[in-house]
Amino acid sequence: MTGLVEAPVAARPSSAPARIRRRVLLLGALAAAALVALSVTALTLGQMPMAASVAVRALFGLGDQGDVFVVQEFRAPRIAAALIAGAGLGVAGSLLQRLFRNPLASPDVMGITGGASFGSVVLLATGASASFIPLGALGGGLLAALLLGVFAWRSGLTVTRLVLVGLAVQAGLAAAVNLMVVRFPAELAGAALQWTTGSLYGRTWTEVGAAAVAGAVALAAAFVLHRRLAVLDLGDESAGALGINVSAARLQLLITAIALASLAAALTGPVAFVALAVPHLVRFVAGPPTAATTALSCLVGAVLLLSSDLVVQHLLPVEGLPVGVVTATLGAPWLLVLMIRQSRPVHRSSV
Amino acid sequence: MTSEQLASEKGASEPVARKSAVPAPSAPADATPEGARRNELSTRGLDLRYGDRVIVGGLDLVLPGDAVTAIVGPNACGKSTLLRGLTRLLAPADGTVALDGTDIHRMPARALARRMGLLPQQPVTPEAITVEALVRLGRYPHQRLLSPWSSADQAAVDAALERTGTAVLRDQPVDQLSGGQRQRAWIALALAQDTDLLLLDEPTTFLDLRHQLDVLDLVAELHAQAGRTVVMVLHDLGQAARYADHLVVLKDGRLAAAGPPADVLDAELVKSVFDVDCRVIPDPESGTPLVIPKHRPTGRRTPA
Repeated sequence: MTGLVEAPVAARPSSAPARIRRRVLLLGALAAAALVALSVTALTLGQMPMAASVAVRALFGLGDQGDVFVVQEFRAPRIAAALIAGAGLGVAGSLLQRLFRNPLASPDVMGITGGASFGSVVLLATGASASFIPLGALGGGLLAALLLGVFAWRSGLTVTRLVLVGLAVQAGLAAAVNLMVVRFPAELAGAALQWTTGSLYGRTWTEVGAAAVAGAVALAAAFVLHRRLAVLDLGDESAGALGINVSAARLQLLITAIALASLAAALTGPVAFVALAVPHLVRFVAGPPTAATTALSCLVGAVLLLSSDLVVQHLLPVEGLPVGVVTATLGAPWLLVLMIRQSRPVHRSSV
Repeated sequence: MTSEQLASEKGASEPVARKSAVPAPSAPADATPEGARRNELSTRGLDLRYGDRVIVGGLDLVLPGDAVTAIVGPNACGKSTLLRGLTRLLAPADGTVALDGTDIHRMPARALARRMGLLPQQPVTPEAITVEALVRLGRYPHQRLLSPWSSADQAAVDAALERTGTAVLRDQPVDQLSGGQRQRAWIALALAQDTDLLLLDEPTTFLDLRHQLDVLDLVAELHAQAGRTVVMVLHDLGQAARYADHLVVLKDGRLAAAGPPADVLDAELVKSVFDVDCRVIPDPESGTPLVIPKHRPTGRRTPA
């Protein structure tokens, strides 16, 4: 009798951490389900609408050859680009915010997105194959980080300086992209236009394939390095005493975040605010950051970008609107709210 | 209880008794082989600087293994900087720091972190982290890049929580604990690191008397029962004399005195290092030296 009464109590480990773990797991499952549902929906929609079963079969090369062609060559790469870019932005944002201990740190506020777009367009201008664009983007992203370091570094970084210099770098590099688009011959200008606003239009496997491989590597690196990130949260002294080379670990994580954000920009151009908003969203629903919430950021980023792209393509009455416009419209007020909250006591943090 | 023990050990007779007092607590540590691992930190000609500012200059020091050492000195005398130098957080401008004769700057960072743990003066508590999650981070130097959490890791964390009395708090967020509880959680992190040597930077600051004594008793216990070598920076001379086997007195980044508290702590030293007139009497509880500042009826010090 007593056993019966006690058993359910013992079988329910309802400590707070266990509850949070369960919630993160549940949210992860929800996000994954949403991702599948959105992907299938995206496969079916377009000028040639088709049933979900037809679209999925076509994805695997079965059924009508026309359907297969449309799904495999037009819709699938666009979806893949949205997933990779969204996941990359989500993880890059959460890494940067934790690394800088600053809720405003994100690749678009820090100018990395602008740098990566600049790098992509420069590579495009050289006439190299589109599969090398991620490389150009990475170079541009690192260049932007370097500029940020040179101009914002004064024995540590303050929130205000980081944001101001970051926005200046971002604006300067975006202007450089615009200049190139204007000066380019017409056919190049059309291709480069993507990197002025951020769009998923016309992605092909040529660009997506290379970025997918690089993105997988960078994501793996982010999770391998995650233990270091957790130790870095303890501050330089404790982290050092635990055997971490603090500056090296920070640099590794920073470069991983830059790589993820740059790959995203290589695929989509400067899609604003996804990297900024996703970690906050995840934090709001899943609590303080852990490896699990970083994984959740990855999923939520992908969901957010894919659904924004669906909205742009199929729900809005305006034809051919770039996805960056939607994310910017939603994200700008968000940034404003964050800035206002931040104008309370400014805490310094060092790289 | 502890104080009586200490009284019988430290107060019974003067300097000579120190020699017999030291081996007693080492009994539990006898299992570890003699020789290579004495857990003795030493510095030779150590210069520590921030930029051009010399904080610690030409320091020759031996911090005995298998003992509790207290580093004391006036504010800004370089105590914390010395601790940073001893733990490799600050590279020496000149001179060396050695652990059992090996230059710590020649040891791999993780290998060093498996021998030596540090509790900083003001540790940064990650937001909303639970006690257990915090203590788990102490296992970092024992983990390989991709190795999963092992049963040995969990055992070390459980033991550390148990020993510091924080096991009941394991699921609570550290930033919601009281100062004393939080300090014990951080000590648990250093214990989970499972190092023979433990360095504590002013572990009693910001704690009330009761919690100060709790932390110091815990330190004494770690030495006596777990055989850890402890080096700690302390402010209170009486506490340092009570709890330490070895006292290091710094002034302006230089060594003013070092040795067993009963040998080194006298009125002359306190006057020269802290510029305070005092009497040093035997602590009525423990027999260790106790500093009693001269009464100054006007309440103001005479100009030097």
